[in-house]
Amino acid sequence: MVVHFESDVSGAWNEMFSAPGVARPMYQGLLGDLTSLDMVELGLRAEQLSRTFIDRGVTFAHSGEERPFPLDLVPRIIGALEWDHLSRGIAQRVRALEAFLADVYGAGRIFTDGLMPRSVVTSSPHFCRPAIGVVPPNGVRIAVAGIDLIRDEHGNFCVLEDNIRIPSGVSYVIENRRAMTQTFSSLFSNHRVLPVDSYPAKLLAALVAAAPAKAASPTVVVLSPGVHNAAYFEHVLLARMMGVELVEGRDLVCRANHVYMRTTSGERAVHVIYRRVDDDWLDPLQFRPNSVIGVAGLVNAARAGNVTISNGLGNGVADDKLVYTYVPDFIRYYLGETPMLDNITTYRLEEAEACAEVLAHPEDYVIKPVDGSGGKGIVIGPHASAEELAAIRVAVAASPRNWIAQRPVALSTHPTFVNDKVSPRHIDLRPFAVSDGNDVWVLPGGLTRVALGEGELIVNSSRGGGSKDTWVLSEELVTAPLLTGEVTQAPMDSAPPQQNDEFIGLDEEQQ
Amino acid sequence: MSERGMLSRLAESLFWIGRYIERADDTSRIVDSYVHRMVEDPFNDEAATCQSLFAILGIDATDLALTRTSTLDTIVYDVQKPNSIAGSLNGAYENARRSRDFISSEMWVALNTTRNELRPRERVARTLGPATYLAYVRERCALLAGLTDATLSHDDGWQFLVLGRNIERIDMTARLLRGRVAYMEASPDWMAFLRASGAMEAFMRSTHQLDNANGVATFLMLDRMFPRSVLFALNVIDEALMEIQSAGQRDNHGDSARQIVAHARSQLEFIDTETLLDQLPELLQILESACYRITDAVTHKYFRHEEAILWVSEGGL
Amino acid sequence: MTDELRLHIRHHTGFIYEGFAKSSYNEARMTPLSLPTQDVEQTKLTVRPAVPLFTYTDYFGTHVTAFDIGEVHGQLEVESSTTIRSRAAAIEGDLTWSDLATVGFIDRMNEYLLPTRRSTVPADVLADVAPWRNNGELHDVVDHVSAFVRSRVKYVPGATTVTSTAIEALERGQGVCQDITHITLGLLRSLGIPARYVSGYLYPKRDPQIGETIQGQSHAWVEYFAGAWTGIDPTNGVRHTARHILVGRGRDYGDVSPLKGIYHGPKSKGGGVVVEITRLA
Repeated sequence: MVVHFESDVSGAWNEMFSAPGVARPMYQGLLGDLTSLDMVELGLRAEQLSRTFIDRGVTFAHSGEERPFPLDLVPRIIGALEWDHLSRGIAQRVRALEAFLADVYGAGRIFTDGLMPRSVVTSSPHFCRPAIGVVPPNGVRIAVAGIDLIRDEHGNFCVLEDNIRIPSGVSYVIENRRAMTQTFSSLFSNHRVLPVDSYPAKLLAALVAAAPAKAASPTVVVLSPGVHNAAYFEHVLLARMMGVELVEGRDLVCRANHVYMRTTSGERAVHVIYRRVDDDWLDPLQFRPNSVIGVAGLVNAARAGNVTISNGLGNGVADDKLVYTYVPDFIRYYLGETPMLDNITTYRLEEAEACAEVLAHPEDYVIKPVDGSGGKGIVIGPHASAEELAAIRVAVAASPRNWIAQRPVALSTHPTFVNDKVSPRHIDLRPFAVSDGNDVWVLPGGLTRVALGEGELIVNSSRGGGSKDTWVLSEELVTAPLLTGEVTQAPMDSAPPQQNDEFIGLDEEQQ
Repeated sequence: MSERGMLSRLAESLFWIGRYIERADDTSRIVDSYVHRMVEDPFNDEAATCQSLFAILGIDATDLALTRTSTLDTIVYDVQKPNSIAGSLNGAYENARRSRDFISSEMWVALNTTRNELRPRERVARTLGPATYLAYVRERCALLAGLTDATLSHDDGWQFLVLGRNIERIDMTARLLRGRVAYMEASPDWMAFLRASGAMEAFMRSTHQLDNANGVATFLMLDRMFPRSVLFALNVIDEALMEIQSAGQRDNHGDSARQIVAHARSQLEFIDTETLLDQLPELLQILESACYRITDAVTHKYFRHEEAILWVSEGGL
Repeated sequence: MTDELRLHIRHHTGFIYEGFAKSSYNEARMTPLSLPTQDVEQTKLTVRPAVPLFTYTDYFGTHVTAFDIGEVHGQLEVESSTTIRSRAAAIEGDLTWSDLATVGFIDRMNEYLLPTRRSTVPADVLADVAPWRNNGELHDVVDHVSAFVRSRVKYVPGATTVTSTAIEALERGQGVCQDITHITLGLLRSLGIPARYVSGYLYPKRDPQIGETIQGQSHAWVEYFAGAWTGIDPTNGVRHTARHILVGRGRDYGDVSPLKGIYHGPKSKGGGVVVEITRLA
């Protein structure tokens, strides 16, 4: 039995096929390779892949259990030209967010210039007042960003959300590639795929660049909440690949605003902390006094300029979903550039007109809490029951600041190996950007998450989502460039658009 | 040893990985010898044998049924018991998780797959008897020991692991011998011990004597070449401590752990081998106490990290 | 009443542990600010056990002294000593109710208009003052609110603790300056009048004698904005006077607590707080 690809009927953009049976140019080689296999072999390879992950302990913790994050056999491909555009758009966005954070925790020009109400920030639970006066030595608060993208029905990539607190998932990018090259090396022989294993070196360079100037040869550590954190595997991988210590809060101690780690030969100074602990738990003196995973005195050590906390304190104020609506303005205001990547059409419910419209027709919108992560609290209008719609009306009317509404968008689909068949499944993309103060580098590809259930829109790992190896081709394979906006995809009018559900799982780590 | 030392918490984890893997290995050897006895000897008093096994392994058997099945549950399969085989391997795994950025990936994968494999092996063993399970554990422990030596740099971390392994080894040998002394009737004979320790051939080659209790005890205690003998392990411990200390904390107070080792070693070296068996109870006491005190001294000197602190707010804020 | 007072203030806080604390991390907000109403001549903060001190200015403009103690200690003492000249503040600002209602104003004052956990006042109490909105001159309404709070909560030293909220004090009908301040904040904010928490000291006698050292107290009052930040002391039913010495401001007590700290150790037997104020001139 040869490999057969099921057609897509969802109306969403299909990443591989421009029409039933017609592969897009960059997929033609892969399709040829895959269809030459038989289903039995494909099944065996899938089994081998999952075995590799279980043996290596490539897992995330969910409800007290270590689960592997299933890797799908069929890679996702992004062409060179499109990637060039995407990566520049992501870097642009990160530069603008960086400028915004510097402004928020500095002069506040954007408020006095009237581009954004100050209250958007002062009412955000993530606006971190103790961060005022904590100045990053090289100006970088966003050493690592994860920008979530989806491709809409017309083939345009849009930004779904910015993760600039503790974006996670990059370990799967690295592990997925390693597993794919091991179990499916033949697929790589016909493609020039940009490598992903330079990420740890780039991250380490960025962290070293962020060290206090007085640290001649800075010591960098990765601070983890510990083995019970969902992303512990990633903390281990990054520490190991960067060749730095993986520490927990209790390994560190602050004395007179210097930070030390406890070693077998005494205390050793630490200069840069790549922390995977949320602000709230980071320093029991400043934040939650009941935190047992933080380091007492850390914030003042950073304030004194003796240690760098990375990502910066209070970054959450910029990935508030209400602030998200302003990011295109940030790009114009701080950079004087035109945004290369669009937001999903989003309405601020603080604005009376928008609020009235959404209250009148909640069934037409996806309504999200501004502070939500993990898909919590999201109401998908077209799918919601009458009770849910009534409840969301009340909630929105009570505090419009806490909600945004978005146009429903269908996530693109990608052929995926499920139950011994290759069927279309919805996907998203989280590229990772690393900033060293001079340059924002974007890891080629990123994490493609896939919802394994049919028609399922939630690509969340904790809800049975999986991931795909994501290939960025080093050169365009065909003459016809596939540029955003120039796509002449036949309109798929067979089905109504679906909604952009939340896909998290791997978004911000929660302690 | 590096000038910079290593993270104290990490050092402690490695020490315990060494101890737990060795504990799993030794326990499986001991259990194997007892199971043989129960199967081979129709006149064996099952309850007394189980009792002695618990005593050797330091498990309080007051509330436990002294049958073969429940004994195996407690000593072999029960992952909740830190002294059981499954519990020891789980302890090694938990410590490896905490030191996963330090140990080699091969070690990690070997430990992880071992842990994943225990459940299915247990199901088989419950039908076919524990032998295959015990053999599997010994084989995996040997693999882990080999990977430890072959894939880890022999730096401080490795030294701590070796330290833990050898302290556990002495502890277990001492317990084993004490069991033989205290429960003569209910414990396997000397030869069974030798076989279980994989020491039969080595013993025969070195002494050419069979069935000589004093000879076996002397071999297990004092042989300079056999890596499971107490003296051999004490020498390894001393070397590891010296390596760790040499460039570590340069305190002038000496190394109390090494002093304890030196004391124990001198007790062994000046013993009259002809009457070893008579002095065994006293010697074993000294060794067990030495193991405890060395661990204590090492913990105090090198593992001085805090447990997670629950802070108290000043003024009740 | 004198126009200007020259005062010396000694503020001593001590914690005695039931046993020993292994380590502690602290921030003291005990240093008075230099302001139009007060000139700091000299100020000094000392900590025992002696440790390095680190100072900075926080988001709300308060002087913070941070320190950590890494050695085992049985007690902790922090003492702030200040010589200061102080004057009464004039009542300033001529904003009207309609000024307060502009979008730009509400945006700028946002964090002084939102209730906080400590300053949240129940709806039924808010309803009692709601009719005063858009009704009368702002400064007068503030005085009414201040009198209203005193009518609802009697000042009783020790009636509540530092962790008490406005709601708890209203239920008891008793409270200390901190509670009365929190309730006032909640009411003023509900009327759309920006208001902030002020911590400081009060020289207790209305007629201070030169050279006499008397027991003062840590005190709390309110500043509201009607074109300029203006002080009112609802506990005593007075405006800001020369006897009010300002240390810090914030949204509520949580932003200005004089000594915020955590330690690793047994229970603290509680501290003695002593404030001594001497009129120098």
